[in-house]
Amino acid sequence: MDLSTLSAAELVKRLSSGELTAESCTESFLERIKDRDSSLNSFVSTAESAISAAQAIDERRSTGQAVGALAGLPVAVKDGICTAGIATTAGSRMLEKFVPAFDATMVKQLLSADAVVIGKTNMDEFAMGSSTENSFFGVTKNPWSDQHVPGGSSGGSAACVAADLAPVSIGSDTGGSIRQPAAFCGITGLKPTYGRVSRFGLIAFASSLDQIGPMARSAEDCGLVMNVISGHDSNDSTSAKNDVPDFTQTLNDSLKGLRIGICKEHFGEGLDSEIESAVNESVKVLESLGAETVEISLPHTPYAVATYYVIAPCEASSNLARFDGVRYTHRAATAKDLTEMYCQSRAEGFGEEVKKRIMLGTYALSSGYYDAYYLKASKVRRMIKHDYDSAFEKVDLILGPTTPTTAFKIGEHTQNALAMYLADIYTVSANLAGVPAISIPCGLTSAGMPVGLQLQARSFDEASLLRVAHQFQLQTDWHTRRPNA
Amino acid sequence: MSEPIDRKTVESVARLARIDLPEDQIDDTASKLGDVLTYIGQLEQVELPDDVEPFFGAIESVNAIRPDQLTDSVDREQILSNAPDADGEFYQVPPVL
Repeated sequence: MDLSTLSAAELVKRLSSGELTAESCTESFLERIKDRDSSLNSFVSTAESAISAAQAIDERRSTGQAVGALAGLPVAVKDGICTAGIATTAGSRMLEKFVPAFDATMVKQLLSADAVVIGKTNMDEFAMGSSTENSFFGVTKNPWSDQHVPGGSSGGSAACVAADLAPVSIGSDTGGSIRQPAAFCGITGLKPTYGRVSRFGLIAFASSLDQIGPMARSAEDCGLVMNVISGHDSNDSTSAKNDVPDFTQTLNDSLKGLRIGICKEHFGEGLDSEIESAVNESVKVLESLGAETVEISLPHTPYAVATYYVIAPCEASSNLARFDGVRYTHRAATAKDLTEMYCQSRAEGFGEEVKKRIMLGTYALSSGYYDAYYLKASKVRRMIKHDYDSAFEKVDLILGPTTPTTAFKIGEHTQNALAMYLADIYTVSANLAGVPAISIPCGLTSAGMPVGLQLQARSFDEASLLRVAHQFQLQTDWHTRRPNA
Repeated sequence: MSEPIDRKTVESVARLARIDLPEDQIDDTASKLGDVLTYIGQLEQVELPDDVEPFFGAIESVNAIRPDQLTDSVDREQILSNAPDADGEFYQVPPVL
């Protein structure tokens, strides 16, 4: 029986009925990873503990004990999220041998629901990148074309789901790092509201922007995972106390009367014409389901990437100060005194992009520049937030393309960082404002590369995103298309 | 503020960031930082209302506090096992002076 193409919902159903054991399910995915991942490089490591964890779940189930909502479901976790006893590298030489002593809260929640962590996925170093080319552990390939990047920074999490090496995965999104790779790899990826999912145990990049979320083949599967990982955590002071709905309960509610705003700034210069047509076709599908569409404006969109590239590096320069050669693995061998040890360890342990962003943030926060950069950017951020507040007085959701282009070629933007940064032009605003957003597959270009549709909602209204995405996926088959099929 | 960054500033920023920057990488770093600084310089053009407050993050709540109670913590040995150098009780570092 080929399990690899089954949805997470279907796997959970078969596991629950006893038709499938957790052990055979886990083995089957680990086997696929072994067979296929050497060319893809979507995993940094696989979890040796997965089989025994699965056996323990089977044992509990067969003796009539209670099991969790995801019992036996294999899950891949981005390697920037701490897993007790399993190496967690964040794609960096700095953490090459780092083995966390604790599980991130959301990993703990997955394990309490009896999901099985099968491995850790590749990523741009410390989540800084949009292509998964900036990993110490090598480039991850796009399953749709080995000449193309899978997007980033959660490129491994996107690629492994697209290649059917895991039914669901976990990513993190600071400026688009779940949605952009989901779009590039033809899968569904949700960045929840800031505060919805605990970040305790996520290796911090930019703390006012980082958010953890699910990546899967469908909105329904994302909902299953969201039910498990959402909610307040006293270990994360930014975690929200809002009630958590059952995200799978409202998937089939009608879209009649739902107001969807089409953001005009997302259809300007730089948008690939094939993406534009795919998005326009998607609008028709949603209209046929009873949604009303109106044009809206988020006027500060053109400044979002610049705002992000002040705020994110500033926060990163502070967060990454902890990697100093004292507590975490990599230390330069030749340093004679403490300061030299810091400077050499950081020079050796960090890759080029990370060093650049730390220096950028250090510069922008240094005496004499704070007002011009960080304070100004934080005020523009307020305007971006205002844009959303005004838009959501008129509409329930905002629709547009996830990215201006489909996956670019490996190496294409290596020498032009700004071109790479602009891959996030439609996604960064949601992080700056804190609102939830989802990317779902909505087409394939003539070259056969996937196109992503982005929907954004009011804070804490992930349920609407998942409902609209699910209804769209009942009408279309883009999310079922597979590479090489 | 959009002027590219000079060598001297790059050296000073690298020192502040505690990142060793070899002499032969300074120009390249200055040029790469300069590109980004030029790009973010466009924020100068954004006209802001006089009374706009900065927005530092989506959770604008007061400090989260909890009762001051003892809870389990992670085992010291496990934490120290990730350190490049430790004596079983403390982290060890090269001489400070």
